Amino acid sequence: MKLTEQDITLWGNDIPWLAGLREKGMRAFTATGLPTAKTEAWKYSFNAVGNMENLQIDTAPHECNGHCHHSEELPFAAYYIDFCNGKLQGEHFDLPRGVSVKPLVEAIYDGDAKSYLNKSFAVEKFPFAALNAAYLEQGAMIVVERNTVLDKPIVIRYHAHKSQNLFCNIRNIIALEARAKAEIIEYIDIEESTCFHNAVNEIFLAADSILKHYKLQKEGKTKYVSLNSVQQRSNSHYKCFVLQKENALARHESYINLLQEGACAEVDGAYRLNESGVSDITTNIRHLAPHTTSNQLVKGVVAGKAKGVFQGQIHIAPDAQQTEGHQLHRALLLSDEGEVDCKPELEIFADDVKCSHGATCGDLDKEQLFYMQSRGICMEEARQILIEAYLQEVLNMIDNSEIAAWISKNL
Amino acid sequence: MGKPILEIKNLSAKVADKEIIKNLNLTINAGEVHALMGPNGTGKSTLSYILTGKPGYEITDGEILFHGRDLTTLKPEERACAGIFLSMQYPVAIPGVASNNFLKHAVNAKRKYEGKPELDAAEFLKLLRGVAKDLDISAEMLKREINVGFSGGEKKRMEILQMSLLQPKLAILDEADSGLDIDALKIVAEGVNKWHNNDNSLLIITHHQDLLNHIQPDVVHIYADGHIVKSGDKNLAIELEKSGYKAFVDTKE
Repeated sequence: MKLTEQDITLWGNDIPWLAGLREKGMRAFTATGLPTAKTEAWKYSFNAVGNMENLQIDTAPHECNGHCHHSEELPFAAYYIDFCNGKLQGEHFDLPRGVSVKPLVEAIYDGDAKSYLNKSFAVEKFPFAALNAAYLEQGAMIVVERNTVLDKPIVIRYHAHKSQNLFCNIRNIIALEARAKAEIIEYIDIEESTCFHNAVNEIFLAADSILKHYKLQKEGKTKYVSLNSVQQRSNSHYKCFVLQKENALARHESYINLLQEGACAEVDGAYRLNESGVSDITTNIRHLAPHTTSNQLVKGVVAGKAKGVFQGQIHIAPDAQQTEGHQLHRALLLSDEGEVDCKPELEIFADDVKCSHGATCGDLDKEQLFYMQSRGICMEEARQILIEAYLQEVLNMIDNSEIAAWISKNL
Repeated sequence: MGKPILEIKNLSAKVADKEIIKNLNLTINAGEVHALMGPNGTGKSTLSYILTGKPGYEITDGEILFHGRDLTTLKPEERACAGIFLSMQYPVAIPGVASNNFLKHAVNAKRKYEGKPELDAAEFLKLLRGVAKDLDISAEMLKREINVGFSGGEKKRMEILQMSLLQPKLAILDEADSGLDIDALKIVAEGVNKWHNNDNSLLIITHHQDLLNHIQPDVVHIYADGHIVKSGDKNLAIELEKSGYKAFVDTKE
């Protein structure tokens, strides 16, 4: 049965405000439809979305608790939250005082989620997030209370198993209260070729809070699109690092609002595509208050018939004086059939600002290759060393050495 | 006299359609030190690149034998593993690659070529420490990205360190003394002299005599206009220092 013809009964449709959110999401999506060449934010990757008509929403519970996949432990101490086939596994999470993790449905039922859901973005502007709102049900709500410093990272693992044509919509709420500090890692390890993940993280950072957000998207044949919508209060710090490997489509979109003075956002990333697939890193950082800063460094390696996309928008509002916004995208294009698309967009309405953007795209340095060969290192090995060295620069942005080493191993 | 290590016979070569080397002949035997001297910009470095197989250089005539074997069919890495080493005039910086890691790749590439097991981190470190100490290279310097922000002296010492680790049969030093102060020059020369024995040979490419005061050449060649115009013993270098190249180079133009 086609997606649009499916009769889908989601949990909690008798809760009026929830039903209202879903309806609004569906209306927004119906109005825009899937992205096309004319959808500016999807200009280079809309094609990779493909036909979604054969996808299915599975409303039945899926409680495998790790039995249908191998839950890889990360090489450092961490708290784990698991999703399998888009369904949150388990209901109770053992976390220290000051940190709570709840299934989204429980947070909706308790009323905790109401003041956060769809509050950080407008569904009309994000077609997939609108669709995510229409199918709102699965997800987790993570709250770190004021002054709480999390002792270990929280790892959210996403798996899939026998998920033919499955359309998974996941919505997480991550809220850090004043002066809270946390590290959250999203680990996406989905090989199945026919499932489509549509994730939205709504992130709320109160004054003086610090969130370090890491995302590793492993090789797979899947399609995984995500919106990371961040609202930042005064002096909060959002530091994100994303590594995207080869997938049919991997899109990491950041929509960051620096609402109050002193807020700082960093989005760094790397992508490495050897043969095919599309990696899309899209950011829109909005400086809405004075003394706000943002930094972005994204580096990619594209070979074969793959495509790498970077779109970076920096908006500086008229009042946002003495702000700084910097952006740099660099890519290695190693084949004739590969493609790298880069689109920086700066909208600056204040006059006392420091802004920069840059983009480069090139092949490996021939002098460096010859230097290595002249020391006995064969061409293929020399290329690998240079590629890893190229990406190492952006890995140096990760300040947790254990996490950096783990991500580096997955390059 | 030892067996020939390198034999260049009637070599002509061009770069980007310009003939740089014209009918060059040179034989270097095991145990010998040769100095190739000539004015700047006459193609001395071109010869070093042709010997090491750098892309972009085309041999139009003649042959190059290394241990009696045709060198020109080998890839650059095969030449290196077979025992040719070039200390470059301008060593290339590679951001993101730590010097010690680079050196380990190089040493293990050669061991693999020779059918020996690769060295693990501890074994390699032991080897590296001994050699680095002689060249006054600190552990700190070995952690730095190779040649990135290195001074002239540091770069040349790093080249000689690579030579010492790889133990080539033929080392070509291209302007190994440029940019060196007298102390650094001594360290480089001592490193070379420590490596040099009756089994291996050395080709020093230079345009002045400084390094030759520290490494005694057996044969000195004056190179101009794409070939060797005069050869002699070490006194030729001293003579050259006094008279300059003009006395030897045919200035028809």
